[in-house]
Amino acid sequence: MKMKKFINQPENVVHELLEGYTQAYPKQVRLAGNYLVARTKPKAKGKVGIATLGGSGHEPGLSGFVGEGMLDISVPGEIFAAPGPPRCLEALKLADHGAGILFVVLNHAGDVLAASMTMEMARKAGLQVKQLLTHEDISSGPREKPEERRGLVGFLPVYKIAGAAAEEGQSLDQVYKVAGRMERNMRTLAVAVRTATHPSTGQEIFSLPDDEMEIGMGQHGEAGTGRMKLKTADETAGIMLQQLLDDLEVKAGEKLLVILNGAGATTLMELFIVFRSVKKMLAGKKIDVARSLVGEYITTQEQAGFQMFIARMDDELLRLWDAPCDTPYLTFR
Amino acid sequence: MGPAESMVIIDEKEVIAMLEGAIARIREQNAYLSQLDSAVGDGDHGTTMLRVTNVIEKAIAECGAKPLAEFLSDIGWGLAGIDGGATGPLLGSLFLGMSEKVPTNAELNAEALSAMFEGGVAAIKKHTKAAIGDKTMMDALLPAVAGFRSAADAGSSARDCLEKAAQAAQQGAASTTNLVAKIGRAKNLGERSRGVQDPGATSVALMFEGFCEGLKKKEGESRG
Repeated sequence: MKMKKFINQPENVVHELLEGYTQAYPKQVRLAGNYLVARTKPKAKGKVGIATLGGSGHEPGLSGFVGEGMLDISVPGEIFAAPGPPRCLEALKLADHGAGILFVVLNHAGDVLAASMTMEMARKAGLQVKQLLTHEDISSGPREKPEERRGLVGFLPVYKIAGAAAEEGQSLDQVYKVAGRMERNMRTLAVAVRTATHPSTGQEIFSLPDDEMEIGMGQHGEAGTGRMKLKTADETAGIMLQQLLDDLEVKAGEKLLVILNGAGATTLMELFIVFRSVKKMLAGKKIDVARSLVGEYITTQEQAGFQMFIARMDDELLRLWDAPCDTPYLTFR
Repeated sequence: MGPAESMVIIDEKEVIAMLEGAIARIREQNAYLSQLDSAVGDGDHGTTMLRVTNVIEKAIAECGAKPLAEFLSDIGWGLAGIDGGATGPLLGSLFLGMSEKVPTNAELNAEALSAMFEGGVAAIKKHTKAAIGDKTMMDALLPAVAGFRSAADAGSSARDCLEKAAQAAQQGAASTTNLVAKIGRAKNLGERSRGVQDPGATSVALMFEGFCEGLKKKEGESRG
């Protein structure tokens, strides 16, 4: 597959995308410090700040969710690469409104390394920070080893829950606790059908035969567990949903948040058809779809495929999920 | 070789010579590093290591009369800020850890240097669980530091310790060829990562070779 992208010089991709993004949504986001994405209308003093880090190339994730009710600040790295600790520390300082900061880290080796060094420097600088690691991808590791599981689209509900809790004045410990409960009750499984190209090198990031799909592929083309011939939407949804329900041990009568996240090239048409399958299957099991989202929240360039996400919701999590937010890629009134 | 040699002090000029040696070696081989990385990564390790050499070179140019610990810590923090994967933060941790173990009177002999390298490794280990056999820079770094330590304990001069360290690093890097990556982005390739020497381990070996050559060159000049 040959790369066919509207970019200028590859080495300028990240700066140009961040400039364009913050220029397009100036009421909500602005560039701060060394290419950090921050809220244009800062949070009130005395409220917990929410910060995150991650590689670029996954737009709208993660900086797309900076704004009231979600992130205070995001640290974008190079394409598919974690940012360095110095910029992360700069971000934590900017997110400090006097009540501490929750640092949400998606479990990928580079991000975890950068966050670890950042946390050490933050402690030395006297900042009150707590780190929350997201790791809900069931394909990248067994249940007994959550530290091997990657963090995928589950970042979104975690930012939402943490952001809402912070906005209503909860303490850092309380925000950490409720965001942690969201994290423990969510699971994701991805499927890929066609590769993407890397904007810097133009190279394909993985290869897959024309008639096959790979269940469990990671955010950067990391190998999954199930390569097989492409199946229908109903069959694929069935396979993936069953694995998720089993892993999360969902029972009849429970309420779920369901998110279908397009990888970049899969159409909404397909995602809606898959959602219908999911809804039908859950209805058959007497499991309630309490809330849902279908769209592109974290992509991998022009990869075709999607992530299926479920989370067990209780009244408190639903209340925080429903709270207002105003970010360029998620707005609840 | 004997107790007298191992007590010989290395001063800041010689530390700088070591760093300059590393810079030269890495720059010389950076196309090779990128080539190794295209097989198992996104082909940018050579470019990242060039940035590493630029950070070190800049720190040398600006060091003035800065105390050694501060100089190494500035390098560490500068490397940590190289965006683009784990290389910058890991090498940054190495230098930050080394800076914390600079003896208070900043007089470096083989023993002091050994403690500094061990401090660097300890700092890295706070942030990663990578161990020998995982096919990472640690496959070169850990043997290098262990090799330096055993030579220092045997009373060797700093230069001879660096020689042993560089050899151990080279062997360690070569040993990664037949390993399957267990950590980092290359882990995703599984079996496909076998058969290529790890770029991170290779650049660590080049770094120690450079330290060794730089110090030899400086000592050669001093003898005149």
